[in-house]
Amino acid sequence: MSTYYAQLLLNGVIAGSVYAIFAVGLTMVYGVFRFINFAHGELIAWGAYLTLLFSQVLPFSVAVAPALALTMILGISQDRCVYSPLRRRGRITLLIASIGLSYLLRNALRLVWGSDLQTYGFEAVRGISFGGLSITRTQLAMVVAALLFLGFLYGLLKFTMLGKSLRAAADNMELAELMGIDMKRVGTTVWTLSALFAGVGGILIGLDTNLEPMMGLTNLIKSFAAVLLGGAGNVWGALLGGLLIGIAENLGVAFFSPGYKDAVSFALIVLLLLFRPAGIFGIIGGVR
Amino acid sequence: MDYLLHTLVVSVIYSAFAVSLNLELGLTGLYNFGHVAFFGIGAYASALLSLAGIPAAGSLFLGMAAAGAAGALIAVPALRLTGDYFGIATLAFGEMIRLFSLNERWLTKGPMGLPGIPRPFGIHGGVSGLPFYLLLSVVLGVGVFLLAYRLTHSPFGRALKVVREDEYVAQALGKNVLSLKVRIVTVGSLLAGLAGALYGHYITYISPSDFTLNETILVLLCVVLGGRGTPWGPVLGAFLVIFFQEFLRFLPIPVDFGRVVAPLQGMVYGAALILLMLKRPEGILPEYRI
Repeated sequence: MSTYYAQLLLNGVIAGSVYAIFAVGLTMVYGVFRFINFAHGELIAWGAYLTLLFSQVLPFSVAVAPALALTMILGISQDRCVYSPLRRRGRITLLIASIGLSYLLRNALRLVWGSDLQTYGFEAVRGISFGGLSITRTQLAMVVAALLFLGFLYGLLKFTMLGKSLRAAADNMELAELMGIDMKRVGTTVWTLSALFAGVGGILIGLDTNLEPMMGLTNLIKSFAAVLLGGAGNVWGALLGGLLIGIAENLGVAFFSPGYKDAVSFALIVLLLLFRPAGIFGIIGGVR
Repeated sequence: MDYLLHTLVVSVIYSAFAVSLNLELGLTGLYNFGHVAFFGIGAYASALLSLAGIPAAGSLFLGMAAAGAAGALIAVPALRLTGDYFGIATLAFGEMIRLFSLNERWLTKGPMGLPGIPRPFGIHGGVSGLPFYLLLSVVLGVGVFLLAYRLTHSPFGRALKVVREDEYVAQALGKNVLSLKVRIVTVGSLLAGLAGALYGHYITYISPSDFTLNETILVLLCVVLGGRGTPWGPVLGAFLVIFFQEFLRFLPIPVDFGRVVAPLQGMVYGAALILLMLKRPEGILPEYRI
């Protein structure tokens, strides 16, 4: 019985590492621009579907590159075409535009690829098992990729000038601008990173399960729960939040019907809003 | 002719739905992105009660009460935080209600939906009942409109506008912001529930796929297109959007393209929201500001 729970825990860590990637991207945008990008979920889905498109002509490992590049371009153009002109208009305008954009992108996806489930067409492989637990190669890759990308982010934020200016902008945008930090460059970096992380996570989810047009929305809600858990704008909080969401929803399978797996993150959102609105770590503020 | 009547009924129901959203979004500045949940709760509660034998005229109001109660329940935690959080929390709530109606088969029959919902006051289910149902929805719709109109112009409504413009000012004036918001969300959910119940009894068949994010976007577009914060805006928006949607059915679209129509329509709605925000965020009928 204990291996059953250990397996659920392991599955939780695997799912959670991908949620962490999403949540980090979402919270970075929030940290700098102070708004929740509802279209973040669509970057996840587009990353996954574009890889599907390119993998029909290219080997899969090569197809990832143009797909991610296009996802990043999509992320930057979101900002250039919609969010940037609306920045001074007030939040409600920005949010309505953002939910409109997510709806536009999701339906564009359905238009091109249809509403059916799709897969990358890899054969199911037997998992590697050790001590009664099993993990597939894809899942192993998910954890490794999450570690790699988050490590890259850590290095960027901590040791480079660009990362420092990013943190400064998240802390106080006006002050950062006064200190001569190029806000345009910071903005572009944030959107590129956020889209890159969304695309990578989307591909990993597509590899592990399947692709469907609604994958953006479900994952957006989970990443939002993770962002809230960690405290909005807090990158490392979002990382831990993602892991916790993954573990919670997989352990939840042991107690509720699996149909409610996606509802776990919602229940967590409500509980958090009731008891710890500042996130479990109680830190409100920018990228630290 | 019957088709026109049908379009009118749907437009009136959506007007009531849009008016209820406008109370939250336009008047108070609360981004409720899961308003369809209350529409759905109203529809399901009323349908289930009337299928259980309660006269539909009564179940209509019980469904409304159920939606209001759900609104009050969810408002208290969700409104603890302002701004974007409320948006996502309500979006998630909408999905949660959809999951609930999909999974709790003992209650909602899951994806099969609930067929054969009776119409109230002995109105016939078929085409012959259309004029009477239109009358019923107009009466209730006008009631909703008048209530919202009175609310907007009452001291309560003015306090809500202050909350929208600046919460700190409202607090400084001695208003209890949380209580104001909880009350308006409750009213908004009540009215959305009534609209939902009316919809369910009109269509006579509901399933979880009737209450998805698409309906949220549709009603959001109604409010934003007509004009946020104005009494007439949502009504105008609802008529325009519903007539546009029903008009599309008359276009000579080849059967092969049927598959692409729904996503294209969704793209148009999404693009319309973005363009409105970029070019004319105040909508067709701008709110009068001093």
